Parts: sequence; C-alpha cells; structure tokens
Amino acid sequence: MQPIKRKILYSIVLIIGFAWILVSADKSGVSTSGKIPAPQQGFLAPDFELKTLTGETIKLSDLRGQVVLVNLWATWCPPCRAEMKTIEKIYNEYKDQGLVVLAVNMTYQDDPFAIVPFVKEQGLTFPILLDETGGMAGAYQLRSLPSSYFIGRDGIINEVVIGGPMAEALLRTRIEDILE
Amino acid sequence: MIDAFRSLFAPPRHLILLVAAIWVGLALAEKRAERHGVSKDALNNIAYYSILGYIIGGRLLYALANLSAFSQSPLSLFSLNFDLFDPASALVTALIVGFVYGKQQKLPLWQTLDALTPLFATLAIGLSLTHLAAGTAFGSPTNVAWGMDLWNATRHPTQVYELLASLLTFSLIWFQKSDSPRGVLFLNFLALTAGSRLFLEAFRGDSMLTYGGFRLAQIIAWITLAIALFASESIRQRGKVN
Repeated sequence: MQPIKRKILYSIVLIIGFAWILVSADKSGVSTSGKIPAPQQGFLAPDFELKTLTGETIKLSDLRGQVVLVNLWATWCPPCRAEMKTIEKIYNEYKDQGLVVLAVNMTYQDDPFAIVPFVKEQGLTFPILLDETGGMAGAYQLRSLPSSYFIGRDGIINEVVIGGPMAEALLRTRIEDILE
Repeated sequence: MIDAFRSLFAPPRHLILLVAAIWVGLALAEKRAERHGVSKDALNNIAYYSILGYIIGGRLLYALANLSAFSQSPLSLFSLNFDLFDPASALVTALIVGFVYGKQQKLPLWQTLDALTPLFATLAIGLSLTHLAAGTAFGSPTNVAWGMDLWNATRHPTQVYELLASLLTFSLIWFQKSDSPRGVLFLNFLALTAGSRLFLEAFRGDSMLTYGGFRLAQIIAWITLAIALFASESIRQRGKVN
C-alpha cells in the first residue's frame, strides 16, 4: 500500500475510533448493574435468611449499614478449616468497628454432627449459619469452597475471594478498605 | 458447552488456562525466534525473567502498599492467595526486568518484541478464556439473540467477543508475511489488540468510567492504537530511507 494511502487509512481508523468512544459513553454513569443481586463484585449481594447453630434466624439485608464478610465453608474442606482461626482473629479485631462475619456452613453437603465439635475446637465466636437446602449456595452460584464475599455498608459486594486459606494480610487489607 | 467449560475451569482453576497459554505461547514463539534473529535461549530467558519479575514484583509492591497489614503478619508475604497481588505493578516490574535483561544481553529491541509477539497473542487468548471461565469482564444487559445468561441477566457475551478477537489477531499475526520491517509485527499486534479493545469495551458491563461517562479502557486503547500506527508508519518510512 502507498504510504499516503496508509496514512489516510490510519487517520480514518483513529477518527472512527474517537467517534466510537463518544457514541459508546455510558451516560448513566454506572456501567455495573449495582442494583441487580448477583454474587459478583459490584453487584448487590443476594439476600438470604438462615438459621444459626443456636437457633436464631439471620437475614443478610437486615445487616445493611454494616460491613459483612460472608464465608461459605464445610468441615470436610481443608482450606476452609485452615482459615477459620484467622477469620476469628480478624473478627475480634474489627467487630467493634462494625464488622460482621457470617460463616455459612454448606450443611446440605456436610456432616451435620461434625459442625458443633469443629466450631468448639476452633473457638469460633461469630455466627455459624446452616444452609440445609442448598438454597443459599445456589443463589451464590457456589462452585468452589471456601468462597468469601466482602460486602460494604450499602449491601454491594466489594470483593470476592474464591479458594483459600485466606492470609491474614488479605483479610486485613480488604476489611480495612471497606471500613474506610 | 460454555456452562461445562465454566464449571471445569471455575476459579481458582481458571488460572490453569493462563499457565497453559504461557506454555503454548512460548513454544510457538521459540519456533519462529531465529527468523527474527533472536536465539531460542535468549527468548526463553527474557520470558522467564519477566514472568518471575511479574510474580515477585506484583506481590512485593502490593505488600509495600499495604505495609501495616503485612507488618502484623509477615508470613502473608508467602501466602498462595492470588488476591494479595497488584497486577499493574506486576506488569511494570515485568517490563523493567525484561528491558534490563535485554539491554544486558544486547538483544535488539524490535526483533525481540517481534519474536515475543506469538507469546503475547497466545496470552491474549488465554486471558479471554480465563474471563470466560470466571465470568469476569462481563457484558452489559442485552436482548440480542446470542446473549448469555450471566450474573442474573442476559448479557452481551463479551468474553466470547474477546476470544474471537484474540483468535483473529493471532491468525493475522501468525500468517503475516515475514518480509515486514523489524518491529512491524509487534506493532500490528498492538494495534489490533488496542483496536479490538476500543470496539468491544462498549459492550462491557463493568467498565471503569471517567468524567462524562467515558470508558477509561477505550481512551487508553485509542492512545495505544494511535502510538502503534504512528510508530509502524515511522518504521516503514525509515526502512525506505535506509
């Protein structure tokens, strides 16, 4: 191709590209559909209502205004077991600043008799919720354990961490970011 | 089929795709390295050192930015969590390491970039596959017939668009005539990648927006495209003068 023709072609490409930027600007100012509940960063955390080990009922949407860490776990999952003590440590450090930890046990695929001994052995003080039907796991499209969701005061998921065990620094940086 | 793929490579297994892309990309780049006047050993070394720089730089600079958290648990520095990582710092470190190694070994810049282009193009394919597996880089809600159900809405399958664009870019790069001036292969890859990002970003549902609702990635892609086209033309002109 002749250099002059190539220069014209390049100029046309850049002009069309510039026009495309103008045309495809998102005038709403919010490109992520924050109001749709979905288990992904930038979306509203799907609501759930579950019973705890002590028989209370906890609904996620009732905790709006607080920073919530939702951790999906099972007793048979080694990385889930490994990260519990770290979560407990961080919970004790930040609970006075408004951190709530909801550890949701995947009871429908766990041994129900193994849960209480494990919680006692680890000395866990945050609420342990029981997903007996798999409804919560379905809403959160669970594919790997552990899965953790860091939810801001507005109910929007700030960060999703799939897999574990989560390092102490990871928990600290994420929680401090949201608490700010 | 997409559901089965997403299930098989659900996070954190999606990273296998990226590792496989690096492996395949290096093998392909190695195959053609000597055509660009770069030895296979030099190509492998620059790639390995840059990858090492990426991994170490990404973790160390993340730790430096969050010093108070890491000072309370220094062992977290060695954690296997991929989330304790700063990708932007990692990329800058990899570029610096690659550049310094190339300078030390007196590797010619443009020929080395040309030789590495199949690796970059394969990495782009791998990256789009990881997006597809993890459901990240998702599209905006749509009514088009080929929309994909993701995150509780029917969305533009932007990960599939991205995959097709990266496959097309790879084909164009792989089958490009070998008589192009030095550096043009790499710059063509850069222009094609920037051009496709500029076009496809419009269908994304997770764009970072700047003032006026403009998508930041599009602005960066447009600047990259302009630089790649300008540099490519400049190399062709210089080649003619010489």
